[in-house]
Amino acid sequence: MFLPGGVLTLLVIAIPLALALYISLLDLDQYSIREWVGADFIAFDNYVEAVRDSHLVHAIGISLGYSALVSAACVPLGLAAAIATQDRFRGRALVRSILLVPYVLPAFVVGSTWRIIFQPDGIANRVLGTEGLWLNGPRSFWALVLVQLWAGWPLVYLLAAAGLQSVDASVHEAAALDGAGWWAKLRHVVLPQLRGPLSLALVISFLHNVNSFTLPFVLFGVPSPVDVEVLPVLTYVESFQNFEFGLSVAMAVISLVLVAIPMAVYLRAVRLDTGRERSSR
Amino acid sequence: MRRSEEVARLLPGPLRTVVLAVLLLIVLGPLAYMALASVSSDLAVARGALWPDGFHIDNYARIWSTTNLGRGLVNSVLIAGAVAVVSAFVALLSAYVLVRYAFRGRVAVLRGLLALQSIPGTLLLLPVFVLFASAATALGITIIGTRWAVLVTYLTFALPFSTWVMVTYLRELPPELDEAARVDGASPWRVLTRVIAPLSWPGLVVSGVFAFLLGWNDVLFASVLTNPDSRTAAVELQIFGASQEGGALPVYGQLMAAALVCAVPVVALYLVFQRYLVAGLTTGGVR
Amino acid sequence: MFHSFAVPEEFPMHRRTLAALVSALLLGSALTACGSDDDGGGATGDNSGVTLTMLMGVNNIYPEQQRQWFTEVSSKFQQQTGATVRFETFASANDELTKIQTSVVAGQGPDVYALGTTFTPTAYATGAFVELQKEDWDKVGGRDRFLPATLGISGPDQQHEVGIPFASRPFVMAYNKDLLTAAGIDKPADSWDGLRDQAKQLTKDGKYGLAIGYADGFDPWKFIWAMTTQAGAPVVKDGKAALDSPNTKLAYQSYLGWLATDKVVDPAAVGWKNAQAIAAFGEGKAAFLPMVSASSKVTLDKSSVAGKYAYAVMPTIPPGATSLPPGGVAATSILSGDNVVVAKYSKHKDLALALVKLLTSEESQTSYYKTFGELPTNQAAAQALGSDPALAAIVESAGKSVNTPFTGGWSQVQLALTNVVVQSIPDLSAGKVDDGKLTGLLGQAQSTAQGALDKAK
Repeated sequence: MFLPGGVLTLLVIAIPLALALYISLLDLDQYSIREWVGADFIAFDNYVEAVRDSHLVHAIGISLGYSALVSAACVPLGLAAAIATQDRFRGRALVRSILLVPYVLPAFVVGSTWRIIFQPDGIANRVLGTEGLWLNGPRSFWALVLVQLWAGWPLVYLLAAAGLQSVDASVHEAAALDGAGWWAKLRHVVLPQLRGPLSLALVISFLHNVNSFTLPFVLFGVPSPVDVEVLPVLTYVESFQNFEFGLSVAMAVISLVLVAIPMAVYLRAVRLDTGRERSSR
Repeated sequence: MRRSEEVARLLPGPLRTVVLAVLLLIVLGPLAYMALASVSSDLAVARGALWPDGFHIDNYARIWSTTNLGRGLVNSVLIAGAVAVVSAFVALLSAYVLVRYAFRGRVAVLRGLLALQSIPGTLLLLPVFVLFASAATALGITIIGTRWAVLVTYLTFALPFSTWVMVTYLRELPPELDEAARVDGASPWRVLTRVIAPLSWPGLVVSGVFAFLLGWNDVLFASVLTNPDSRTAAVELQIFGASQEGGALPVYGQLMAAALVCAVPVVALYLVFQRYLVAGLTTGGVR
Repeated sequence: MFHSFAVPEEFPMHRRTLAALVSALLLGSALTACGSDDDGGGATGDNSGVTLTMLMGVNNIYPEQQRQWFTEVSSKFQQQTGATVRFETFASANDELTKIQTSVVAGQGPDVYALGTTFTPTAYATGAFVELQKEDWDKVGGRDRFLPATLGISGPDQQHEVGIPFASRPFVMAYNKDLLTAAGIDKPADSWDGLRDQAKQLTKDGKYGLAIGYADGFDPWKFIWAMTTQAGAPVVKDGKAALDSPNTKLAYQSYLGWLATDKVVDPAAVGWKNAQAIAAFGEGKAAFLPMVSASSKVTLDKSSVAGKYAYAVMPTIPPGATSLPPGGVAATSILSGDNVVVAKYSKHKDLALALVKLLTSEESQTSYYKTFGELPTNQAAAQALGSDPALAAIVESAGKSVNTPFTGGWSQVQLALTNVVVQSIPDLSAGKVDDGKLTGLLGQAQSTAQGALDKAK
């Protein structure tokens, strides 16, 4: 019964992944792509070039940095929304749906919209009373954080809301009996119960940001300003504009490994993967 | 009931109002801009005007002929819908095995499920295409350009997370349930379909909705794996953003109109399923 | 709609084992299972049931006309040959590249592609497209049916041509007649310095001399290319890059200086793409709009400057000069437009060529121009048009366009040129062109570009 999922995953992830690993060892460019199987085998030269001669290290720094920031910033927003929509009130279903809309809009649309908002003479500057650049230069990093945050926080909200539902009624009763105020109840009774969903939300949101291609691509265009030169865009440019396919894939593999390591550590720390192992028979 | 509701209250009313007002402002601000832009002329949007220079409601009429948005929406519903249903179902099978059967490497598989989320899509794009092209030639069938191609691709990206959700969900179901059924002589298949599945509705809905969103929003794979007949709405949307070299404006007004139209089915879906959705994540042991 | 899988014809023996292993392991029998024999599918004989696929850019300005054109072409082609044509469209240059790349790797996809001219060298480099022999040219109606200028970027030399000119889209400059008249300027300058001075004169009362899309992903390099070509020191010559030469630097300084030091461009232009520059001009807020093609006409005719603007060729005398320097080429525009190429993996090469013949006939080209405003590459059709005064500047620019270098590394050079502008924008926004920083960026761009040219085969 495990078969269908396993086979499918193997077919469309494992095989292409193996193929990608192989490509990363080839000198594959516009001149050799048509007969790619015959491209020169250059072992780890692509990896050496990626680390030594490209913007890879810089891009990894930017990607991890902004993803961590966004994921962290999503938590208070998501939590606030989940808590505020937990109590019943008129129009709650509608509010809940509206809060989710940024998450369901295609990244392409979100990017186009914010691009116009962030124009030098655009709405952002008018509303904030600032002037100058948002889509290039040092502030572009914060523009990226802001837009990703806007588009991504509802995921945390969704998971936090679900977590809240599972807080037992008895907990509320106990808190009421103790005469705890709303803040004390939140802080000491409710929040500790949300550790699981929030950990999961952090992981998913972090990975989503690290791999997000369309949004920075549409927002800043290529070539990327250096302050927002994120990994997926860098690999895309290497592949589809510079035609350094082997190099591009090597970059993606390096990023995969770099993301996987902290992930593994984190997963172990929060024990999400083993759960409570109730049924370990 | 009133009393327990009172007890369960998390925030004082006024504070809740303030929090919601702030959040709604954050979300609705840009959305309102989109709505205004959707009835603006392309020139007005391009120069960053806040107020429309007229009321170009006809943008909403013209989107249906500028590109094949209608067919795109149908394709998206079919593809994303199929991804949702299939991935929820397959995830149920896989999760059941992962939760109920002890075998070597089980924890590794579980970790792998999340690790798979960290594979960048750009890494797989070219290999997936090559794989499909080769398979098509070997089998003498057409794969690329059909809805099947995108469906299968999305499944592989959706399955790990769906399986994860189902695993956490099934963990919460007492093993005694299916044990009892098995003692009665039911086959594992029967146990799964008759006992487990009916109890896992909310989990299935969560898996399905996430898978649906994934299929709904992808552009990267859909843009190379589809042809004009099988294009998804997201790809059609992207065409609105295209301008021609040397001085044509993208049809911004129509783009925003089309984007809002495309968001409607998903919001509707959420409204329909939200009860399950929240409940599903709840009982699914994400806590 | 997909036809055959191109078998790698030959690769070095020592690769063979590995390749066989890889293919057996990963692709099953796919790579070795079938050869692609071009068994004709000739343009004559029974082609009923055959469908050709052609990939071209989507046209958002005339979406319905484009769909109708697709239908017309297909039915006309069916009358002629019995086969039908299925058109696929791409949304952007990036989409196009992705599509080409994946098709080339897989050896299946569209039979015929319409490509931007500057992408032709890259397409040639892949070796995936048919090099036209004498008889192939004959099948599309003869090489001499095309305007000679439009053949400039079809191949590295006449013996190795892959691109068949399909549409011509030369760049020109739009100017606001009212603003110029009010300032007492009778016609746009023919030198870049002259244009700058006119722009200074025109910058007043909240209006600016020039509208420039500094943040555009494609436009900036075209300015630099034009200025350096005119100076006789092109950015690439004979496989050598000269991105760090004094002339290139001067070009960047002029281009960036318009906003930073001359202040003849709206400061907001640091965030503009081509679209915003057009919008500003369309609102009457700028006097000159350089680097647009005839397709801007549709937008501008709907704007507030409708009827008040005209097109002129861009200056051909480089910055710092008053006349064309020795060795300089008076290029008005890059050779711009679309070429069509036929994929080698196509099973229906003759049919594909027959389709190209249909598309480039005088009749089709004239009607294509009338529908979409893109100039013909067909000699007879172009001559018939030449007399239209409204088009004078555009036709003139078409004749004086110069092709970008034919090297497989051109895309990288182009990207490196644009990147210099992108990374200079923060300084630009602060109202300066930092000399040291510019030199540094140009040094980086030079090594990237030279590296790409060295790899070119």
